[in-house]
Amino acid sequence: MSFLIHNAYGIGGTIRTTYNLANALAEQHDVEIVSVFRHRDEPVFTPGSRVRVRHLVDVRPEGADAGDPDLGRPARVFPRAEGRYEQYSALTDRRIAEHLATVEADVVVGTRPGLNAHLARETRRGPVRVGQEHLTLDSHPAALRATLRGLYPRLDAVTTTTEADARAYRDRMRLPGVRVQCVPNPVPRPGIDPADGSGRWVVAAGRLAPVKRYDLLIKAFDTVRAQRPDWRLRIYGGGRQKDQLRELVDRLGLYNHVYLMGPAHPIEPEWAKGSIAAVTSSMESFGMTIVEAMRCGLPVVSTNCPHGPGEIIDNGVDGRLVESGNVQAIAQGLLELINDDALRQQMAHAALTDSERFDPSRIAERHESLFSALLARGGNSPGGRARGALHRARGALLAGVYAVRDAGRTASGKGRTS
Amino acid sequence: MMTPAPSAANQHVHEAPVTAPRADCVADSAGGLTFDVTDRGGSAPAHLLLRRRDSEQEVRLPLSPAADGRLRAALPSSVELPEGRWDVYVQVSDGEPCRLAPGVNDLRALVDRVPGAAPGHVAARIPYATKYGNLTVRSWLRDPHAEAGELLVGKDELSVRARVYGTRLAPDACVELVARKAPAAVVRAGLTADRSEFRFTVTYPALRPGLWDLWLRPDGETGPRVRIARLLDDIADKKPIFIYPKVTLETEYGRVTAGPYYTGDNDLAVKVAVVE
Repeated sequence: MSFLIHNAYGIGGTIRTTYNLANALAEQHDVEIVSVFRHRDEPVFTPGSRVRVRHLVDVRPEGADAGDPDLGRPARVFPRAEGRYEQYSALTDRRIAEHLATVEADVVVGTRPGLNAHLARETRRGPVRVGQEHLTLDSHPAALRATLRGLYPRLDAVTTTTEADARAYRDRMRLPGVRVQCVPNPVPRPGIDPADGSGRWVVAAGRLAPVKRYDLLIKAFDTVRAQRPDWRLRIYGGGRQKDQLRELVDRLGLYNHVYLMGPAHPIEPEWAKGSIAAVTSSMESFGMTIVEAMRCGLPVVSTNCPHGPGEIIDNGVDGRLVESGNVQAIAQGLLELINDDALRQQMAHAALTDSERFDPSRIAERHESLFSALLARGGNSPGGRARGALHRARGALLAGVYAVRDAGRTASGKGRTS
Repeated sequence: MMTPAPSAANQHVHEAPVTAPRADCVADSAGGLTFDVTDRGGSAPAHLLLRRRDSEQEVRLPLSPAADGRLRAALPSSVELPEGRWDVYVQVSDGEPCRLAPGVNDLRALVDRVPGAAPGHVAARIPYATKYGNLTVRSWLRDPHAEAGELLVGKDELSVRARVYGTRLAPDACVELVARKAPAAVVRAGLTADRSEFRFTVTYPALRPGLWDLWLRPDGETGPRVRIARLLDDIADKKPIFIYPKVTLETEYGRVTAGPYYTGDNDLAVKVAVVE
């Protein structure tokens, strides 16, 4: 299996997810991660010893490709409407094309739309082509959606991180013969004991960006403080909104109760210091921090925003979903768990159990069964079209069956615990 | 034109980590720390070496086999670690010490820590990552100790709630503000005590522009001085996290801003600055 990623040497959700998945798949398979760029000597995340990591373009200051004139020439294959377009070039076009023309793998996986476009156009005949979408269809500009609509039919499968996003691709993209399937992101078990629920701390973690709506969380904590001044809030993460949020904390006189902690890596020990996690985003394409916190034994109070939280949290069982954008609803959600120690402990326990379904081994199995189904039906690539429409029709049918079965599993899973 | 396919030179196979070895650190509520490092094999005895920055002081702790192929060293609260920053190394027999990088620091036991009321040192040790990504332990050793709690910023004053450890508050206990650049300039504030807890108020107009350090005088003006600090949690550097509003006011020195902050040693101070 060969993963194609923007930059395996940096920090970010997609990078972490890809390493976790690759490590789990490498238990059974030969796995490589191919990084388009390399900007530093060592990756931040350590891949398992069985995963090979290599790069296509070396952009380190003394790197082999530093100063290559093609780095300055615009990319033609990488879609112009993609968010990372400016970083791509004639050189990346050429190196990615060469890689995909010769790749020795049964399954080639792209990890962002621009790379999926390369996969669709340039993968040699043979391997199964899987395009991962880590963001959501809604978040893509219209021009990118139009480009992808033309190219994604040449993929064998598109995976999304939520069922909601998978529905969006099925309903709005019309991808005949392409299996569209939700496979959530993997989150490994933390290397520390779960939180014991005794600390009177609410913890949040994420970039201090407008989409995270930490302003709502801070305002909600003003209400919490009025009732329970013994509880406090830590927000981990850095970002452009720091000064604004600081000002809000001061204006509300919450400087003894709300702390902006700065970035923390690893984050797991910081979750373990809290007893409740809070997510107040207006949008979460998946909701990685929710799963991370649950795996550390924290029930999560989260806004029921698109797309991920409602698919992760079993409302009232292992966490609490509250109305998006509503300060009082957030405060009431927090106070419900703060004021009821038994309920909080019960939800914490359920959070630990219910989040096991995101373990890399379990998520890798879901990818594996997708890959084997695709291999069994044969590629959907243009060269494979001679195999006829029957295969593709059957593939499409199977996709439907799988989707129903997945939905059924989710539904019965929720019924079991409530 | 074809470019040659990327050669084997760009293969990055992770068999041996080339980065610094990491230590996972667990704190207990008494102030003790354990360090776990990966056993690199070999039969030579290994030690964890703590070197106090800008001094010759060293503390050597034996590394003993622990669970799952790791080596563990313990720094119990009973081992005295003078105040300062202690860089952490691993040393195999008499070899060159190798600086450790932080792994997972599990410091949950330090959050909202309340040391016993028995007399004796209050010891705080907080492991942290330096700006170069190395592991260092920040140590404080205070006897007695005055721990700052909530600060309340008023229109032209600052109210402080604090607690003293290791001594009693005499009826004439008070707080002193000492000008950092002119230690002879002292402003006193009375305090309200409730056993070991106490409260006091700093009136900003009484302070001329400059930095003021806050001390507790548990036995009144003639007794020993105890620095008021914030040490009893998991945060090695309070300054960027414990931030308080500044107020602007007219004083006999002109228009000034005034507000509390924690120093690089986590001691409580007040800054009064003239508005230009």
